[in-house]
Amino acid sequence: MPPLASRLLLLLPTTTYRTEAFVEAATKLGVELVCASERPSTLEQLAPDSLVTLDFADPLASAETIARFARRRPIDAVVPVDDLTTVVAAAISQRLGLKANSLPAVSIARDKHAMRRCLADAGVPVPRFRLVRLADDPVARAEDVEYPCVLKPLSLSASRGVIRANDAREFVTAFRRIAAILETADASLPDDARALLVEEFIPGREVALEGLLIGGTLHVLAIFDKPDPLDGPFFEETIYVTPSRVPDTAQARIAAVTRDACSALELTEGPIHAELRENERGPFVLEVAARSIGGLCSRTLSFGTGLSLEELILCHALGRPLESLERERRAAGVMMIPIPRAGRLAAVHGADEAAAVDGVEEVAITMHPGQEVIPLPEGWQYLGFIFARAETPVTVEQALRQAHARLHFDIE
Amino acid sequence: MSVELKTRVQELIDSMINPAVAGHGGYVELIDVQDNRVYLQMGGGCQGCGAADITLKSGIERLIKEEIPEVTEVLDTTDHAAGNNPYYTPGKA
Repeated sequence: MPPLASRLLLLLPTTTYRTEAFVEAATKLGVELVCASERPSTLEQLAPDSLVTLDFADPLASAETIARFARRRPIDAVVPVDDLTTVVAAAISQRLGLKANSLPAVSIARDKHAMRRCLADAGVPVPRFRLVRLADDPVARAEDVEYPCVLKPLSLSASRGVIRANDAREFVTAFRRIAAILETADASLPDDARALLVEEFIPGREVALEGLLIGGTLHVLAIFDKPDPLDGPFFEETIYVTPSRVPDTAQARIAAVTRDACSALELTEGPIHAELRENERGPFVLEVAARSIGGLCSRTLSFGTGLSLEELILCHALGRPLESLERERRAAGVMMIPIPRAGRLAAVHGADEAAAVDGVEEVAITMHPGQEVIPLPEGWQYLGFIFARAETPVTVEQALRQAHARLHFDIE
Repeated sequence: MSVELKTRVQELIDSMINPAVAGHGGYVELIDVQDNRVYLQMGGGCQGCGAADITLKSGIERLIKEEIPEVTEVLDTTDHAAGNNPYYTPGKA
């Protein structure tokens, strides 16, 4: 049997939480990694065969850079680890002739307005939406929308810059606040992309679906409940627990609608992370991203004989056989520790006490003392993550809440 | 054998690796070499850095293995959670 193909290009923004998990997975699988980031590594000149700098904002130029690289060091697969790198990964894969999502499909999935339009055209249930340009007069636009509504930047991740408005006055305030966030977060945006998505607020419970597309077929890996209400004004994600406690029939509808969404977007390969709202009218797709779950949250997932999500993703990208897509039997969950107020993190207390809560596996504080902390909607980080496993989702949720209650953050 | 190996790894760290990672305020300390495995600790800008794993596996390990082929693995023993001045800090996109 010939040796398995094993040189993989990993696209790792310097700000990603996902590096450790993917590097560890590659090491376990014996995969030779080439790591590309948007800023040069200090060791790039000494290790040019394994460290590359790419301009993630210029997918076609990045594809040319990698095509030149691949002439001397062939690449067998390209994996983007988060939102910032999905489009550039598709461009590189297309240039190298590798099996992957198409560049147009990933580009649409990366743009919230284009995605909504594509899904709506295909009959996939999405909130009613409209595009509002940053150059528009928000006072005039506020007269055109139905309330309550949600304002969203087109390309920022998670809940950054997402604000609910219940009336015209709140709309104008939210519009100006998001415009200011975009000014600092994405100053390189071209004029035609300087816009917001304004959409109907969908009441109901929110879930996240983690899936893997193989040859156009969606395999549902996990459905996470988000037990904390997400009603605004900001939409801070805190607890994720799987398996879902949503009735089986509703879970089947969630999976079916997500399949329809992937099909409409023409996403065919690799991980997807979908966010949906579910109420008496059925599930509504808020987002389908061509990437895996963010932060350190993938630590909640284990498959077959203990494979991590990242091992599954790398095996799939390399065309290796997948041992199992079956999630472990036990319930698991994570709390993304929210930032309670702006300031500078001075100290963290109670981490050992939090880790001692029954069912808690790990308390990972990812911000460091002295670091500036910024809450939503401007912020883009978490204080850390709490992970728990237990027999039932209820017990997992309780453990996460108990552990969080034992943590105290001094913010000056 | 292990002492000689340790000396060669230390020389490599001193002559090539530390001058490079110093560019981001970082440094690497050799803790031990056992059974051809190199144990390191990272400090300064490398401690808690979001790119530390890339630096270690795709940079340091690769360099050490190229220069000293008998080394089989390079392992990081750093307490990254205790880093208070990492060069890159993770966050959402």
